[in-house]
Amino acid sequence: MSTERIAVTGVGAVSALAVGARATFERLLSGERAVTPLSLFDPGATRCRIAAEVKGLDVTAIAPRELASRFTRSDALALLAAREALADAGAAELPGTFGLAIGATTGGMFETENDLIAKPDAPLAVRALRLLSHPLSATAELLTAVLPGVVQSSTVCSACSSSAVALVRAAALLGSGAVDRVLAGGTDGLSRLTFLGFDSLGALDPEPCRPFDVSRRGLNLGEGAAFLVLERESVARARGANVLAFLSGGAITAEAHHITHPEPSGMLAAALLRRALERAALSPADIGYVNAHGTGTQQNDAMEALALRAVFGDDIARVAVSSSKAQLGHTLGAAGALEAVISVLSLERGVAPPTAGLENPEDPALLHVMGGARAFSAPAAVSCSFGFGGTGSVLVFEGPESAPRPLAARSPARVVVTGRFAIGREERDSDPSTQLNPERSRRFDRGAAWPALASSVLLERARLSPAGVSIVLGTAYGSVERSVRFLLRAIASGARMVSPAEFPHLVASAASGNVSIYASLTGPALTVVAREAAHEESLATAALLLSDGHAAAAIAGVISPPDPISDAVLGGPGRPRVEGGGFVLLETDVSAASRGVPVLAELVGTWSLASLGETSAPDGPPAPRSITRSLVLEGELSDAARAWLDASSWGTCPRVSALEGGFHEAVTALATARALDQLAAGEQDEILIANGPTSALHLCLLRAAAERP
Amino acid sequence: MDRALRDEIKELLIRALDLRGRTAAEIEDDAPLFGAGLGLDSLDALELAVAIEERFGVSMPDGEEGRRVFASVAALAEHVRAHRAVE
Repeated sequence: MSTERIAVTGVGAVSALAVGARATFERLLSGERAVTPLSLFDPGATRCRIAAEVKGLDVTAIAPRELASRFTRSDALALLAAREALADAGAAELPGTFGLAIGATTGGMFETENDLIAKPDAPLAVRALRLLSHPLSATAELLTAVLPGVVQSSTVCSACSSSAVALVRAAALLGSGAVDRVLAGGTDGLSRLTFLGFDSLGALDPEPCRPFDVSRRGLNLGEGAAFLVLERESVARARGANVLAFLSGGAITAEAHHITHPEPSGMLAAALLRRALERAALSPADIGYVNAHGTGTQQNDAMEALALRAVFGDDIARVAVSSSKAQLGHTLGAAGALEAVISVLSLERGVAPPTAGLENPEDPALLHVMGGARAFSAPAAVSCSFGFGGTGSVLVFEGPESAPRPLAARSPARVVVTGRFAIGREERDSDPSTQLNPERSRRFDRGAAWPALASSVLLERARLSPAGVSIVLGTAYGSVERSVRFLLRAIASGARMVSPAEFPHLVASAASGNVSIYASLTGPALTVVAREAAHEESLATAALLLSDGHAAAAIAGVISPPDPISDAVLGGPGRPRVEGGGFVLLETDVSAASRGVPVLAELVGTWSLASLGETSAPDGPPAPRSITRSLVLEGELSDAARAWLDASSWGTCPRVSALEGGFHEAVTALATARALDQLAAGEQDEILIANGPTSALHLCLLRAAAERP
Repeated sequence: MDRALRDEIKELLIRALDLRGRTAAEIEDDAPLFGAGLGLDSLDALELAVAIEERFGVSMPDGEEGRRVFASVAALAEHVRAHRAVE
């Protein structure tokens, strides 16, 4: 485990103000606003009809020709920003290992909506196909295909804090030593779903918005993308890279309060801010600028001002505060990364951009940047992001001249499994909601009810307090049928008839937010999107968060609930799609030992091998320790995946199928529960779970604990 | 008092707000809907306004008048009755 600093060596951004990070920043400084009448689509009878659009975005011209038909607006925005960040870092042609970390919420929603409208007579599964052919993870898949050197990618969603969370995950990945550099950021194109949804909540200001103003009436939506090249300091220095800033600290917590409302006192947000400063080993006195979340809604801005007052105390009149959202619009999943880029450039220039539209601050004690940019000299800046579901993330950046100092020590802990909850054949016919508190589980579908039940059961069995416990859910496609139903109602009945209470449940991270609120989990609550690797990705992300000190324990796993559209498209004759899934309770070995709880198994690691056909086989799991007591549990395997396993050191180990009379995207989550039972019972020493129905092979290695329960 | 309308609004409340486990008979005509009563919040108020407009073609007022109309099932029924009668 490294305690090296994380250097920012390149930035890239596309916003409604400009293509280019520095061009965007210049326009921010000059106070320009990009909010104009909506032209991308006709929203119908909405209260608000303005947004910050990236005008003239030619998706097919940006996409490589052979991939053009798969590219969406979100993908095109991402590719522009990613290429700029790589070029800025002088890293476009660098050899070596690159990780890609993306936060997003809308993905291909705009194009899905076009399909729904254009094919009114086609079967619903055809009209909505893009949600399955182009899930939220498709941007990462396309960027991996286009950009050289990317060896692993992740897609996280925590609503409006998504890309800030992606940056924190990226820093944890760098700290683990798995890669030298990470291209981390976010992207979100505008969509009807988000526009109508926020409008139905009364959250959109029909006029250009006024963050922190007494007369504010809501937010304006925007679109954009931003990426940062992050490297361990030694890696950046060794190649003589220009260090723009350091990502000194980042924190993620969940409020466990309400699906749309922030906790009004601001005390939870203040605790998050303090935690980020502590992780950066900085004090409030080191901060010169706060790039606030500052959406322009009544609730967010009041809460955020209280949080800033609480953290900065008497120093509040010295710290420049502004929100960029009145100029760029609220870019949702891209906002965290876009505002991280703005924070980095503000340190580079020593100047903070203003809050446009702000004339009469509700809280005049804050040093609002108004009427023009403002210089500052303190060495660090913070960027705040909060989101539906309650997950917030704060990033702390320091200028390149800052001196290295000891960071909070992070122990090289192993991650162990101390609980498991399976949803298999027997559970399929039961209704999890009957075991939940009905008032606290309203609007929960089975995709939320199962993990809510699992979390309650796992914490109770482990006698573990929910404070600081993370929930990391994996999903292949997100909420397909519910999103389509929401859109069809808008198409059929008009914008005024969409369901405001349904909207917050449509974002891919809704289930993790709901579970966090239901079970009072206040560690990072987020969803990872990764097709058939969703389970391995949920384990990998939870393990990173644990070993980097972001959570006391973590519940991770996947449920593939019934979904008429997914069932029709993904299932087939002889291969029915059924419900299935599983969740595990993860903690560090230190935590399990100090609590004196039995360990079911050690999570040794997960691997995603993408280029199976190539001669230089990528690094995989360690060789089995014993041929007789090591087992391979296999899901669906392509010929290439099977051939790789045959030729690997695991080739001679016995193999057992984990498929149980049906297919779903959580086959390996269920297999994990089975493996844990066998390991805990002493039947095996190691179990490798292998799944690779398409071109890649996903592996997870579990090892029996030294002392079995 | 319109018994049938009040009962219909209670059924609508349960369906639109996913008040699982509740029955119309449990909801009292004059009990407060928000805060202490049924424990509903402002997000539920928005949803209820859409559901009532869709079902009865009656739009719900904002602000202080809205607070009066959303006070209870009885108040909701009165608002719907009065505005349907006008049409």
